[in-house]
Amino acid sequence: MNFVTLAIKNLLRRRGRTSLTIFGVAIAVAVLFSLLSFNAGYEKQLSGELDSLGIHILAVPKGCPYEAASLIMHGGVIPKYLSNSDVEEAKKIDGIEVASPMLLHQFYKDGEPHIVYGVIMNDVSRLKTWWKVEGRFFSDTEDNVMVIGKNLAEEEKLKVGDVLPFGPDKIPFTIVGILERTGTQDDEFHFLPLQVAQRIFDKPDQITTIAIRVNDISRISEISKQLEDIPDIQVVTMTQVMGTIMNLVGSARTLLISVIIVAIIISAVGIINTLLMSVNERTREFGMMKAVGASGFDIGRLVLIETLFVTVIGGVIGLLLSILGSGLIEGFVKGIIPYSPAGRLMVLEPGLIGLCLLFSIIIGVVCGIYPAIRSSRLTPMEAIRSNLE
Amino acid sequence: MKEEVILAKELTKIYRRGSEEIHALKDVSFVIGKGEFAAIVGPSGSGKTTLLNLLGCLDTPTRGSLRLNGIEVNGLKEKDLVKLRRENIGFVFQQFFLLPTLTVRENIELPLLFSKKDGYKSKIDEIIEVVGLKARAEHLPGQLSGGEMQRVAIGRALINEPKIILADEPTGNLDSATALRVFELFQNLNSQGLTLIIVTHNLALAKIAHKIIQLRDGEIVRKASSHGLSKKARS
Repeated sequence: MNFVTLAIKNLLRRRGRTSLTIFGVAIAVAVLFSLLSFNAGYEKQLSGELDSLGIHILAVPKGCPYEAASLIMHGGVIPKYLSNSDVEEAKKIDGIEVASPMLLHQFYKDGEPHIVYGVIMNDVSRLKTWWKVEGRFFSDTEDNVMVIGKNLAEEEKLKVGDVLPFGPDKIPFTIVGILERTGTQDDEFHFLPLQVAQRIFDKPDQITTIAIRVNDISRISEISKQLEDIPDIQVVTMTQVMGTIMNLVGSARTLLISVIIVAIIISAVGIINTLLMSVNERTREFGMMKAVGASGFDIGRLVLIETLFVTVIGGVIGLLLSILGSGLIEGFVKGIIPYSPAGRLMVLEPGLIGLCLLFSIIIGVVCGIYPAIRSSRLTPMEAIRSNLE
Repeated sequence: MKEEVILAKELTKIYRRGSEEIHALKDVSFVIGKGEFAAIVGPSGSGKTTLLNLLGCLDTPTRGSLRLNGIEVNGLKEKDLVKLRRENIGFVFQQFFLLPTLTVRENIELPLLFSKKDGYKSKIDEIIEVVGLKARAEHLPGQLSGGEMQRVAIGRALINEPKIILADEPTGNLDSATALRVFELFQNLNSQGLTLIIVTHNLALAKIAHKIIQLRDGEIVRKASSHGLSKKARS
């Protein structure tokens, strides 16, 4: 027998209480780990998503540029349009590598929103060089053809060669290609030749945005200024989008951190309370131990080992809960933050796992130290007489 | 005179409750020799347990001195008291104080955890045999009778090979037949040279002891051999 087995057997004496304490620690650690991993994953994923757009600047109609940028990235519709002439003006600016007009349209099928991108595939394939397709991309002069995202194909059970009645007039469109999974919003969209999209949705000469890639990113600011000289155009750089979103998310994150701090304090107070109750109940037992040769240090060590057991097991369970329930947690957090990129936001980094385990050990030491000192300082007589008086 | 193991001189213990002083022991003096079996008797509140706790270094006297195995206890630091207890004293309590999740074997082994003694497996087996619990070694306290639990407590007191066993009402929670068997066990241990000091209410059982110290109101009213409580210790 050693101190660890003695501590385990002591904890097993009060299974219900021990389980509840472990559960309390598990919840605190799960929340902490979820936030930290979400925090680490969010910025990475957002940055990845912005990169995946393959663009440096979005030219949008004058209005609220950030809302427009957000809607365009997510596939929403804004009620203002640019024209083909704006695209021609933009293309004249020196330093622009690609200026690709896009028309976004949204329609509902079975209550679910579907997003259609009218694009010039020749431009898009230069912006999104990583796109791969099962089947083929369409050429910009083709009619009634489309490429669709992988998730959309799976959800709708569509395959290359299928013919789909599409648009307000239910014109038959042939799916010529299905994008290989990108892990971004592109997996959900329909892509049509721009002119076809403008025609079937009755938006002649209208475009929602111009996606711009520059030759030299150090010139983004200068090129943005020149773009804004074009009437009707407002520009949003991806750096601005990232900064704005991170600011918006920052406030939600502050709220979450506050919740976590409260959860941790409640958990810590609960653990200390449980330990003090346990120490008080076992005062005579500690007296007996001292009478048969235990030192104050031995008693304190035993209490501390018990505490560490509770908190470390709680920490491990919390991590497992957090990892297993990451989908649910992610869904919840995505619901309360103003913008969330596609893909998994919670990253399971070994460093974070280690940090959370360390946290549970620190909680154990912090919570256990006072009960341990208190129990170690009891004189054997005080302890033995405690329940006799 | 046998080699002295305990020398108590004018031991006094005063408890304070607010402004009230309770004189639990008043100038108690006696000597216990090596291998002696002494019983401390007296009515409730007479100071028996207080005296036993002082002898066991679980408490410190307000006045007076105590020598255990030649070591002056007064003024020892807690660390030294722990060492003195580990090496010299085995305690047996009326309430047994067994840990309910430990088996008989583990309860007996418990003091070794604190004294950090290794290689005592055969000693544990030997003590389980001595206290007559070989068949119950892997049982939990909840599966034992009162007498068996007290025998476990006695085994636990013996495991560190103490020079003195202090027992506080060891038969107080037992029926008379079981109590007799526990006393026989004590007698047996004493016959092997162990010094025993037992606090008891039971005069019949106390008569088995070599020496009887009778307390009343914190004072020794009689010290006697087991032949009778006739000699006045104080007059």
